[in-house]
Amino acid sequence: MNQERIEQYVAGRMGEADACTFEEYCLANPEFARQVEYEQRLKAGIALVARGSTAEFVRSNDHPMRWKFAAAAGILLSLFTMYYVWNHTPHAMKPLMAAVISDSQRSGPALRLALVRGSENAPVLPEGSVRVEIVGLFDPGFHYSVALDRLEQNKKAETIATLYSQHPTSPVTLEVMVESDRLSPGTYSLRVRKQSSDEEPLDFSFVKF
Amino acid sequence: MDFVPGGELSRRIREGDVSAESELIRQFEPGLRVLLRRRTGGDYGLLQDLVQETLLVVIQRLRGAGIEDPQKLAAFAAQTARNLAIASLRKAERQKTDVDTEATDRNADPTPNVDAIAADLEAALAVRALLRELPQARDRLMLKRFYLDDHDKHIICQEMDLSEAAFNQALSRARKRFRQIIEERGFAKRDLLSSGL
Repeated sequence: MNQERIEQYVAGRMGEADACTFEEYCLANPEFARQVEYEQRLKAGIALVARGSTAEFVRSNDHPMRWKFAAAAGILLSLFTMYYVWNHTPHAMKPLMAAVISDSQRSGPALRLALVRGSENAPVLPEGSVRVEIVGLFDPGFHYSVALDRLEQNKKAETIATLYSQHPTSPVTLEVMVESDRLSPGTYSLRVRKQSSDEEPLDFSFVKF
Repeated sequence: MDFVPGGELSRRIREGDVSAESELIRQFEPGLRVLLRRRTGGDYGLLQDLVQETLLVVIQRLRGAGIEDPQKLAAFAAQTARNLAIASLRKAERQKTDVDTEATDRNADPTPNVDAIAADLEAALAVRALLRELPQARDRLMLKRFYLDDHDKHIICQEMDLSEAAFNQALSRARKRFRQIIEERGFAKRDLLSSGL
């Protein structure tokens, strides 16, 4: 006996003689009979559910493709939101210091730092993304590290950012970008060190209001 | 459960072995429910009554005169059930009285009797749960066409652009889940209880 015979019996498509044989087989095989009974009950249950309306059988509001589209739309929306936030909240995302890599950075605010003996007033860092031009004697064949230190009275200088492997723009200029808006008011120093050498570093101070 | 040969059961019952009677009930009850469900038109109360009546007749016969060919005990029980179902139908026909058919139709209580409701409702609830779980509208429609509309499997496959293997697989999944739902809801427990008549 197989599933096809069960379907025939339950659907009433079996002749009377065959049905009698089938029923006797059911009596001799209780587990098989239970299988047949579940089929009978499934058919009866479907008939009862459909008695009022067959809407439950034909609804398609939970089609899997709909969920797939919804999931895809959700992912796209998330990606767009992340992209938007990334591009429109620069102060939260940009690093304190970075190399100068584009011409547009040169057209923004700038600060020129140089070692001037006898100078009493430290230069002031403007707002925004500031291109800091450090003037000195640099060897174009070497890399320089630039450390940003925060200076507080009676406290040791605290390094808050460091850039490595910076190339001088010219033998007398080294440029870095500083995110002024991310700095709290105070006195800072850029310490420029020639990498792979024992030369003394140069310190360039500025103030952020 | 292992099949217990009818001859051996008959002999033990004739000898007064009560456990053999329990074995006979466990053995035949599921099959009798199948047979009588087909002949009682969904009246679960009548079905249960006839199952018990059949088992009683068979056991009393085995306790007393016995049957001609004990090897054919299953056939004897099946025929007893069929006879009782026919008798029940005739009795119901006899009890019908001449009435104004149109009037009774107009005023008829549309709800089946309480037992019938209980039995069908359980299956209906399981079907409803099953339909909610089926992810594809195609599967629900397939069930409707196969079980409700009694459409031929080959025609359903053709019209729904399904291979027979895919159809059988979907149907098999639905059956399996239906059985799980029924068992989770306690049908199996009641099934076991009723087998200990």
